[in-house]
Amino acid sequence: MRNSLKVAKWEIKRNMTNKSFIISLLSTPVIFLAFLFIPMLFDKSNSEENVSVYLYDELGIWNEVQEVVNESEINNWTLMQTKIQEAEMQNDLPDMEQSVYIALTEAGLEQGQIKMYMSDDLDKLSPYEASILEQPLRQLQLERLGLSEIQKETIANQVSVVPVSVDEAEAKGVALGEADPLKRIIPGAFAGVILFSIVMTGMMIFQSASQEKKEKVAEIILSSLTPVELMQGKIIGYFILGITQVIVWLAVALPAIMWRFELPLMEYLLVPELFLLLFIAFAGYLLFAAIFVAIGSTVEDMTATSNFQGMVIMLPFLPLIFIGPILADPSGVIAQVGSFIPVTAPAILLLRLSLLEEWPWVEIGIAVVILVISIWLFMKLAGKIFKTGILMYGKNATPKEIWKWMWA
Amino acid sequence: MTNVLTVKNLGKSFKLKQIIKNISFDVRKGEIMAILGPNGAGKSTTIRTIMGIMYPDEGSIEFNGHAENEIPRQKIGYLPEERGLYKNVKVMDMILYLADLKDYPKKKAKERALSYLAKFGLEGKDKVSVEELSKGMGQKVQFIASIIHEPELLILDEPFSGLDPVSQETFKQEIRELANNGTAILLSSHQMNVVEELCDRLYMIHRGEKVIYGAMEDVKNEYANFKCTIKGQNPITLLETIPNVLRIEQNGDVTVLYLTQDVIVPLWLRKLPEQLTVQELSIDKISLHEIFIDIATDQHQLPEGVGSHA
Repeated sequence: MRNSLKVAKWEIKRNMTNKSFIISLLSTPVIFLAFLFIPMLFDKSNSEENVSVYLYDELGIWNEVQEVVNESEINNWTLMQTKIQEAEMQNDLPDMEQSVYIALTEAGLEQGQIKMYMSDDLDKLSPYEASILEQPLRQLQLERLGLSEIQKETIANQVSVVPVSVDEAEAKGVALGEADPLKRIIPGAFAGVILFSIVMTGMMIFQSASQEKKEKVAEIILSSLTPVELMQGKIIGYFILGITQVIVWLAVALPAIMWRFELPLMEYLLVPELFLLLFIAFAGYLLFAAIFVAIGSTVEDMTATSNFQGMVIMLPFLPLIFIGPILADPSGVIAQVGSFIPVTAPAILLLRLSLLEEWPWVEIGIAVVILVISIWLFMKLAGKIFKTGILMYGKNATPKEIWKWMWA
Repeated sequence: MTNVLTVKNLGKSFKLKQIIKNISFDVRKGEIMAILGPNGAGKSTTIRTIMGIMYPDEGSIEFNGHAENEIPRQKIGYLPEERGLYKNVKVMDMILYLADLKDYPKKKAKERALSYLAKFGLEGKDKVSVEELSKGMGQKVQFIASIIHEPELLILDEPFSGLDPVSQETFKQEIRELANNGTAILLSSHQMNVVEELCDRLYMIHRGEKVIYGAMEDVKNEYANFKCTIKGQNPITLLETIPNVLRIEQNGDVTVLYLTQDVIVPLWLRKLPEQLTVQELSIDKISLHEIFIDIATDQHQLPEGVGSHA
């Protein structure tokens, strides 16, 4: 283990002083922040500009409209009453700037369509802004029908249909519609980001093992330690590099997201479930690291490699093909099968656990046991492939050769 | 001299093919021992097995009293035939990493590295990236890395390949110095003149088996008979009348006569026929190079004794 740690330390040092690693480490959060804030700057420049909203109030709901707008999040509207008729305003508006004319007319109410005219420089209002007047107009309609307060309230309350399975209803005994989806999604997404980042860094193990072969350093190194120690050292080293990368990224991304979306991220994250999610993410790394290190040791020249190695490298992306069906039904057959296949299990489990309100513990248990056994088996086989492959200079191994080494 | 490394009846097979068989030798403290043989003879397999990179199917390896599974690898230095260095790291970092793997103190390693770099004409290259070094410079750094931890046993597989004559001389001097300071050295090389000059003993291997084993002088005395090279047009019928000749090689007007082991040169010279055309004549001993070629090409035409076990 001491030798493995020496290798890990070396791999960390080698990458941390490598320009391309440092650039990727620092540029990713910068790009993330740019994606987050640049659209905001444009949004702000548009939204901050004041919009003059002219109301032609034939219906007498000026006060209600004022009240609704004041209570809303719209803070760039200047409401003004106007006596100008619809037809006249249509002529004037093209010459005006940042202006909206809303014709609250009896005819419009009768037809169920209130027209909103905008000056040329305004493309469109957001759906929220456009719908802000719907409530006072609806209220007026109901009043005119002469309904009682109870009748009005009953109509105002919408009826929604919520699917509830018998088990869940019995177990929880509460309305599921009240559950906060972010409670599951945020820890799941967090673990997903970690899985993605460390698996991506893990891909560097492939390059590292392949480089060891290409540059013929393996034999010198193996005169001081065993192939398994070298392999373990690489896996540990790149795990730490991956985690460092994630920490740097998250240290930038989390506060930015919290500030931008005003989300209490820490409350969502610091839950016991996060431990299981992180365990799955780390298990996923170990599984793919074993695959990458083994395959890397069989490849000297990536450009001349067979499709086989290329396909193996793409394995972490396999769960992508299941995403559609899983989003449609996180408890469906495809989701269940995907949870039991080792290479798809980590990503699929994280996705499912982010979507499911009630976790299927038995399935999770079986999937985790399969995953842990697979990691053990993959590591053993990787050790065998690595031991032979790393010293086979001058050529890429064929799938047939790799198969033989695995069972030698 | 005490044995540092003892190899007994080593055997290794790949699939059904036996690569090495019954390989037995020892390397003593302060000596330079050569392991020779044509390509594919099994030298590198023997060396890799000693280094624990491969596991032997048969036989045993003992290093300073330690059995093969307890060998302290940090006491052994190794320069493999297929060698290289990480490209994108600094020379000093590379050497220090390899020293660290051998559990050698960093400070001491740094001092030694700087002194060796200076000795090999690489002064000031410690902070240079490995990829900026020439092939020869890279070889020197690899050599430094193999001896940085003051090994008790140094295994050098083809240390001179790719080196210019000046660098070869530097390497030879350093190897000699290490041996004089007590390091046991096992060296494999195809350059027989270097082996002849440098090594105390040799072990020649062919098709995975021992063919010659002994001290350099003994081997030379035992196997290296005299040969007579004559320049001049001479018919083969005439040459065949000359006594004590084992084999005749004719190439144009140059004839080489391989003589028997018991020949007494002055007496033999007197027996040469008077009709012999002699423009030039020289008598010298068969070199290690010729013994090697003979074995490697399976000619076995050299005088008796050569090719048999020591």
